[in-house]
Amino acid sequence: MKIFNYKKSIIAIIVVSILSVSAGCRKDFLNREAQGSYNQNNYPYPQGAGPYDQFINGAYSVLRSFNVTVWPFIGIVSIRSDDADKGSTPADSGDQIQMDNLGVTASNGLVDAFWTGHYDLINKCNFVLERVAKDPNPNTPDNLKIAAQAEARFLRGYAYFMLVRSYGRVPLVDTVITKSAAEANIPQSQPAAIYQFIENDLTFAATNLPASYDPKFVGRATSGAANGLLAKVYLYEKKWAQAMDAANKVMTSGQYDLSTPYAQIFNESGENSKESVFEVQATATASNPTAYGSQYSNVQGVRGTGQWDLGWGFNVPSTALEAAFEPNDPRKARTILYAGGTSIYGEAIPAGLPNPRYNNKVYTDPARRAQIGNRFGWWNNVRLLRYADVVLMYAEAANELGGTANKTNALAALNSVRARARGGNNAILPDVTTTDQTALRDAIRHERRVELGMEHERFFDIVRWGIAADVLQAQGKTFIVGKNELLPIPQNQIDLSKGVLTQNPGY
Amino acid sequence: MKRKVLLVLLCLFSINYVFAQSIKVTGKVIDANSNETLIGVSITVKGSTAATQTDLNGSYAINVPSNGVLVFTYLGYVAQEIRVNGQNVINAQLASSNQQLNQVVVIGYGSQRKRDLTGSISSVKGEDIAKSPNTNPISSLQGKVAGLTIVNNGTPGAAPTVRIRGVNSTNSANPIYVVDGVIQTNIDYLNSSDIQSVEVLKDPSSTAIFGIQGGNGVIVITTKRAEKGSTRISFQSSAGVQKVPNQIDVVDAAGFKKLYSAQLTNLNAAPFDFTNYTANTNWQDLIFKTASMTNNNLSISNSGDKSTTLVNVGYSNQDGVLRNSKFEKYTFRLNEEIKFNDNIKVGGDLNGFHYISNPADVTLNNALWAAPIVGVRQDANTYYSMPSFQRAQVGNPIAALNRNDKTSINKGYRVVGNIFAEIKFLKKFTFRSSFYTDLSFNESRGYSPLPFSFINLGEGTIPTTTTIDNSIKTSVNQSEANYRKFQQDQTLTYETTINKDHKLTALAGFTTLYTADQSINGNRRDTTLNIPNNPDFWYLNIANTANPGNYGGGGSESAQESYFSRVNYSFKNRYLLNASIRRDGISKFAPENRWGTFGSVGLGWVISEEQFFKDHVKGLDFLKLRGSWGTLGNAQGFGENLYLPGLNVTDVGVFGNNVYPSVSPAYVSDPNLHWEVIRGLDVGMEFQAFKSRLNGDVTYYNRTTKDILTRVPLPAVSSYLLTNLGTISNKGIEISLGWRDKIGDFTYSFTPNFSYNKNNVESIGDNFNFQISGNGGANRTNSGQSIGYFYGYKQTGVYQSTADLDKMPAFNSSLPGDIAYADINGDGKITDADRTYLGSPFPDYNYGLNLSLGYKNFDVVLEGQGVAGNYVYTQRRTSNFATLNYETNRLNAWTAPGTNNIEPILDNTRSNNYLMSSYYLEPGDYFRLRTVQLGYTFTKQLIQKVGLQSVRVYLSGQNLKTWSKTTGYTPEAPLDNVIGAGADNGIYPIPSIYTFGLNLTF
Repeated sequence: MKIFNYKKSIIAIIVVSILSVSAGCRKDFLNREAQGSYNQNNYPYPQGAGPYDQFINGAYSVLRSFNVTVWPFIGIVSIRSDDADKGSTPADSGDQIQMDNLGVTASNGLVDAFWTGHYDLINKCNFVLERVAKDPNPNTPDNLKIAAQAEARFLRGYAYFMLVRSYGRVPLVDTVITKSAAEANIPQSQPAAIYQFIENDLTFAATNLPASYDPKFVGRATSGAANGLLAKVYLYEKKWAQAMDAANKVMTSGQYDLSTPYAQIFNESGENSKESVFEVQATATASNPTAYGSQYSNVQGVRGTGQWDLGWGFNVPSTALEAAFEPNDPRKARTILYAGGTSIYGEAIPAGLPNPRYNNKVYTDPARRAQIGNRFGWWNNVRLLRYADVVLMYAEAANELGGTANKTNALAALNSVRARARGGNNAILPDVTTTDQTALRDAIRHERRVELGMEHERFFDIVRWGIAADVLQAQGKTFIVGKNELLPIPQNQIDLSKGVLTQNPGY
Repeated sequence: MKRKVLLVLLCLFSINYVFAQSIKVTGKVIDANSNETLIGVSITVKGSTAATQTDLNGSYAINVPSNGVLVFTYLGYVAQEIRVNGQNVINAQLASSNQQLNQVVVIGYGSQRKRDLTGSISSVKGEDIAKSPNTNPISSLQGKVAGLTIVNNGTPGAAPTVRIRGVNSTNSANPIYVVDGVIQTNIDYLNSSDIQSVEVLKDPSSTAIFGIQGGNGVIVITTKRAEKGSTRISFQSSAGVQKVPNQIDVVDAAGFKKLYSAQLTNLNAAPFDFTNYTANTNWQDLIFKTASMTNNNLSISNSGDKSTTLVNVGYSNQDGVLRNSKFEKYTFRLNEEIKFNDNIKVGGDLNGFHYISNPADVTLNNALWAAPIVGVRQDANTYYSMPSFQRAQVGNPIAALNRNDKTSINKGYRVVGNIFAEIKFLKKFTFRSSFYTDLSFNESRGYSPLPFSFINLGEGTIPTTTTIDNSIKTSVNQSEANYRKFQQDQTLTYETTINKDHKLTALAGFTTLYTADQSINGNRRDTTLNIPNNPDFWYLNIANTANPGNYGGGGSESAQESYFSRVNYSFKNRYLLNASIRRDGISKFAPENRWGTFGSVGLGWVISEEQFFKDHVKGLDFLKLRGSWGTLGNAQGFGENLYLPGLNVTDVGVFGNNVYPSVSPAYVSDPNLHWEVIRGLDVGMEFQAFKSRLNGDVTYYNRTTKDILTRVPLPAVSSYLLTNLGTISNKGIEISLGWRDKIGDFTYSFTPNFSYNKNNVESIGDNFNFQISGNGGANRTNSGQSIGYFYGYKQTGVYQSTADLDKMPAFNSSLPGDIAYADINGDGKITDADRTYLGSPFPDYNYGLNLSLGYKNFDVVLEGQGVAGNYVYTQRRTSNFATLNYETNRLNAWTAPGTNNIEPILDNTRSNNYLMSSYYLEPGDYFRLRTVQLGYTFTKQLIQKVGLQSVRVYLSGQNLKTWSKTTGYTPEAPLDNVIGAGADNGIYPIPSIYTFGLNLTF
């Protein structure tokens, strides 16, 4: 027992314990920063130019997302219209079937996803505005602040414009919710108030955004994009003079023209061309075939197997759209891809596909597919606003305004679009010559339909023109006037608000 | 009576004889209850190495100092110490520990006699856990403890979901485990055969000593120590087979063709051309197999005067009933304690653990959804693809299974150890210092092979083609994760008895806990070479760095520091007082909200010790009333540093082909975020009667959680607010009974238990009343209902005709053949306002029935367990994204007026029929025959000749029969997601297991 000294060992143990206890009591023992992640206090915001870019980029990221410009989007803006059928296999996606049949219910998942997606975008824009307002750096130049505000307000205006056209009355949220849930529970505003809000945002954006960017920022919102969108907003409000004026600003900006051949606009090489007023930017690399991309082309891609499995095959051109093209209009072939036909890259499309027609404007370059190692076209930009759209808006507003001078301008604008479509072949698509307001109106509406086929305008256009019931009932669909112009307010959102949000008529 | 006289005499002797001299003592040892002789009882002399055992007649002889103390120990009995005091004959009566209220239970930082408890603590002996062939010991607790809900998972190696007394929180409701002192959330490293006891601490007063960790209950696990005075080698081995007890009833090829044709007719679509689809494949037969499993354990223990040693090694191997899945587990433990003298003890444990797992390569839903009209394959590289109506959504299940077979290597290593020193000083004080470490390391490597060729059978005018996806290239992936934990406990215990009547134990302590983890992963795809299907090549560097790949990594860190104290006091064994207090600081919260104080108080009254009771009440041997109250916290399932508004940095802005970082708020955070607060009352009665044949425990509890950490989804913002909001209560009753008796050679015991829990969300939200949706809106949590209840429409029937639609409430879009729903708000039509409470996924009632029988050398165990009052959501039936195979209930679908009033029309575009409703709920009540075991213990005389101490062989069946109305593989729907529980989305089957086992002791 002598090898062991009782007292010494007690002392040793107690000393070790006290040492460890005091180690535990180190004042900073409980101060543990989050590992490997930033919070709002320690993010190393880069100094210098564009101190708000990180936040704005977040808004662009949402713009690219599934809920904003992909899956609910094609259903709401296109499948509902007479130009597109649901596609895919007959029973695939009950939610999209509802869109096609105009039997949308308040619990339809697309209706909720579209709503939350756009409010996500609005929230990101409000965050940018808040960061500008509460910038901790007093030396940030005012011009940078104004540019950031203009960009955020452009995107917010876009989001509210989609919401007001889709749902009618929606809540106007213009601040970042910081305190309580009650603060976020805002009742709906009337469409007139929402349109006024959008006009304010887009006017501010049009005034303060640059006309163009350095190529490394191509695709950011420009004053041309803001004026183009504003022109469209005015058209929906039937403010013809303002619409004409806004469209004219785009046409005289010197940034855009109709020089891009129609067939090239939708190619990978046609991205951000002179035709492009605003498009959702997407790209892909072999390492990240989807992370930087948009699924827009994937959900509409050819639904084959093996190498012909290019996507889900939704939103396919209808026979009505097929029939709408004038004889030999080359735009038809660029709009509709036929099973058993030949692709624009010369590939033979297999005959045995679930659908006879697919949206040819999302067809991707096989070389690009091989390079990325992915067939699903996540790199394809979404053309949200094309120059031809602006020119036709100008034509429409001018014709509606009436008067010889305006009608002459309208005709010139209309024919400039037809001339480009002609592609030098004078045997087709003759110039429109009528100056009768009604005949010209029909010609412009027809031109919008075929020029912008499968391009997100048709459903809203026919509702705006008041012809939706006629057009869709002619297709054998049940369009109830006073109901089907709008989507239902998502039941989820009504539930979340405990009834502060109210349902649209008829639902 | 004789025994008391003897004791009195012993006391008298002890005063007289104080000088030591060695004498020979002989005697007999018998069972105190049955008076049977006990063979092989070990008798040691306290403080020396001298030891012996009782012989076949229960007799012993030993040389011992005349003032020494003899210690009698025997497995399953309470050890007894008897002072020699110069006697030459000492007969001992040992009491079975089963029937002992004097048994000691582990209560966290100490132990206490069960009879002195004032809270609710249930004990389960290790041998009862080792009986079931589960790789996770907690699985074996199912049905054994009142108030404990266990949902087992048939996936090899998977941990069960554990709920103690209902669901406390909308976040994590998992309890913590305290294994030999170290706080754990994952106990996969334990070997079932190596557990001495498990204590389930159920009420707030029992768990308050664990403060912020104890909110959801605590399960204390004590591993085995070497038994005193013997060298023992024991070996347990079992081998068995597992089978899927029942398949989900889906239609065969003929049924499918009939139903799909009917569906197309209903859709006004052209008929499908089945000409080339001549197969009739039962995909479930093909993905399941009869699987083997083995459990082996070797334990060697030695105990001497100065040191005790225990070495345990275990190996178990479970193949999954789903082909390719597998789990292998190796465990090792070394326990060593060295006593320097009566006052100083040091020791430690070292646990090693290693697993190898193969996950499942195909989902169960894939086999349920695949059309039965397709064959499997033409040759090893050419499979049939599914028909066009599901080709894009549903893959060939066997192609998936075979393509992914043996393409991942998942291994884990874990070392859990502790060292401690314990010093007794000034006779009544014990200082104990313990340090714990838990290090684990998981790694995986994998490979994505080239695809198979697929034959697309011709349909109509479309010819048969064979396609292969040439765009897919081989890729490899690697990942590694490590977890680190360091804990220390410093405790000082003061234990004293004053005037024999006052027993006091006081404890003060300090503890710190630090946990951290780190992970890294990557994958790389070779765009030019085909990496071979050989594990030697499955490293990222096999593909050169020019190839595309993705890489990620992360980590976290958390710390906690606590001070605690507890007092246990009893007066005359009659009046009991227990109280505890704990102060916790935790790094997860903002510095100003970091510290909290928790505590408890409990009172008990042992009425049977009162003279009036002894005088007037016959038959009742023991009666105790107890009541306790406690308050504690819960931060389980909270992320780190949530109080700082998080940033979402994973999204990027894209301009042209340039990618730019983005920053946006991940959520809106309440700066005052703090833990959830749990308070609760526990009132109970314990009794023993009929000479301890009957024992029982009846408890009522009422527990409330407030300040629940809640994500409030913000309407029109698409973000959520993180705040403390809402109150949930759980009230319930638990009854545990035991009856044990012996009639001649026949012994039996029956130990049923029963519990009832009522959960209620008292409030969520103050000025803004909202609900939490789970599982896509199928579950809902709001004020006045139980947590996470099923929310939807109530089916009243099926609209048989347009006349029905005219007279019954309906949706605007309802058609004949659609499900008719109840008009809850009575407005004459069906709208979203008619959704209502449909039932709870959590059972109200849990019960277990355990029966054991013994006759001579034979023993039989029957264990059953069940739940009642809950519902299971058959979510696997709600998918309508493509045409999927039909379950047989669809054979009865409505076709014309009067045909069926439950099953709606075959038309997967009728979305009204896919709304959440009672149509998709099944009563979750079940009773399962959990264990049937027949054992035989060989007679000692027979085996001692070959040097064995005991030999037991047994046959055992697990999960042989389940009585249930559910249609899935098992009625045990997962409950781990509190707000979205109870969905059957293809639950891995709980296999029936047939095992043969052998236990040897040398």
